[in-house]
Amino acid sequence: MAVETLQPGEIKVDPDLHMGLRLMALQRRSRLINGGKIAAVWLGLVAVLVFILLQLRFDPGYIAEHYGFVLQGVLTTIGVSLASIAIASLMALLGALGRLSNNSIALGISGFYVSLIRGTPLLIQIYIIYLGLPQIGQQLDAYGLSQLGDLFTLTAIQSGILALSVNYGAYMTEIFRAGIQSITHGQYDAAVSLGMSRWQMLRRIILPQAIRVIIPDIGNQFIAMQKDSALVSVMGIWEITYRANRFARKDSKFMEMFLLAAALYWILTIVSSWLEGRMEKRLAHAYER
Amino acid sequence: MKKLTIVLSFAALLSLVLTACGGRPKATDELAEIMARGTIIVSTDPAYPPQSELVEAATRAAETKCASDQHTASELQGFDIDTAVEVAKRLGVEACFVTPEWTMIVGGNWADRWDISIGSMTITPERMEKLLFTQPYYTTPAAFFVHVDNTTYAQPSDLSGKKIGGCSGCTYDFYLDGSLSIPGETIDFLVSNPQFVGYETDLNALQDLALGDGVRLDAVLTAQPTGQGAIKDGLPLKQLGDPVYFEYLAGAIDKAHSVDPLPLAKKISEVIQQMHADGTLLALSQKWYGLDLTTAAGEFDISTLGQWE
Repeated sequence: MAVETLQPGEIKVDPDLHMGLRLMALQRRSRLINGGKIAAVWLGLVAVLVFILLQLRFDPGYIAEHYGFVLQGVLTTIGVSLASIAIASLMALLGALGRLSNNSIALGISGFYVSLIRGTPLLIQIYIIYLGLPQIGQQLDAYGLSQLGDLFTLTAIQSGILALSVNYGAYMTEIFRAGIQSITHGQYDAAVSLGMSRWQMLRRIILPQAIRVIIPDIGNQFIAMQKDSALVSVMGIWEITYRANRFARKDSKFMEMFLLAAALYWILTIVSSWLEGRMEKRLAHAYER
Repeated sequence: MKKLTIVLSFAALLSLVLTACGGRPKATDELAEIMARGTIIVSTDPAYPPQSELVEAATRAAETKCASDQHTASELQGFDIDTAVEVAKRLGVEACFVTPEWTMIVGGNWADRWDISIGSMTITPERMEKLLFTQPYYTTPAAFFVHVDNTTYAQPSDLSGKKIGGCSGCTYDFYLDGSLSIPGETIDFLVSNPQFVGYETDLNALQDLALGDGVRLDAVLTAQPTGQGAIKDGLPLKQLGDPVYFEYLAGAIDKAHSVDPLPLAKKISEVIQQMHADGTLLALSQKWYGLDLTTAAGEFDISTLGQWE
């Protein structure tokens, strides 16, 4: 029994520990240096970009004076995107469960959903939801089902969120399906041998592991969605693109307003990819060595 | 057992939703609906100053009957907006604004989302299939614009075969392909075989023309006030010759509204005729354009459109 234990208060330099600490310090330093180099490259590229943009015929002073009007649209863009990604994730989960089930009805519905929605442009889906759904509502009204008919008349914001959710839900169905399929069979076998029901197995074993795998993809979809949310401006929702585009017409300052809108979207996506990175790290804790 | 509970709770939820929003009083026609609501919902696309544009530091009117997803008159300005506000005032209701894209407005089938477009819409036979037009409240002369550097074009007919820009689906588009017809007007198609380049709005076309003579476009066909406004904003353009035709611009109402829209169209026409007669519209035209664009519209005989049968 020659196990050495370090007693509290007893200071004894362990050569292995010392080496380990030195190695960690070295690694930290090289990470810092690397980070500094990358930051320098970014700064250089930003400088080049600014230089190129300054060659365009536009008036930076105009942006500085009028950015406030477009900035007011940022909250709308964030709100629409967040609500849509949340509902889309839910639809994607249901879609993926349908795709993976043995039930022919569930398989048929989810396959049809993904095929129809992925096969048609988002803009057309927005038009149909905004102007088409209320017409169905009017028909239901005519049949005397006015309560049900009212459900089909969504406001512009609701229509936008519905369109984005349904559209992204279809794409994300495939992401969720791949995530769930990436969990090895051993996990299923273990869950079954513990006597878990299908639902318990999904909730406690499969989904927590699948979510970890697909978080980067969901983050990717969220970034894409923030920019696709510009399409809801066709319904007259005053988000970033609408405000920039319509404001530009007052003084024919298109380049100014478009550059401003582009910058706002870019900042939004930088923030969300940073948040996604933090979330990814958090979920990866269990797998760290 | 568990499944049954889930199904039952969904059914309960659904019935709750259904009963919660039941029992809505139905008006007999659209005018009565507006009077009962106390607001008239007007669609406008604030893309064409000085007809309709955004107000930068606007705040929503504090006391308003407008729904939360509608905009109050304080958030927009322009000739169309002033006209809409005055029409609403004479009806004894408040004007609330929604801002869908132009293509949604001209297509009709608004699904009761808004009552009327007061958005400088030209009366055309195609649009009359889907929409009811009111008495026009002003006219717009359509004119060609070219780059200031150009010296080879002296009149519109010199533009035959050239690249001409304009907004897709607008009357300029139809004029250039020779299919435009405006009730009560004989149109000379002066330009033959132009290459039409469609844009989302005229202003984008003017921007492209400003890049240089013949760089992307040789000319743009647009409303005279729009072109003149762009020149005032500093674009290097000039008007080519006289206007080639006049458009009558009127309010429009969806024929597919769930209750009868005809009484509303007649009532608004009466209100606009009054506004012509007492000089209100002329004063607004002078205020926004510095021109009399309204007199000809007041003389237009709305009954020739045959909508009232």
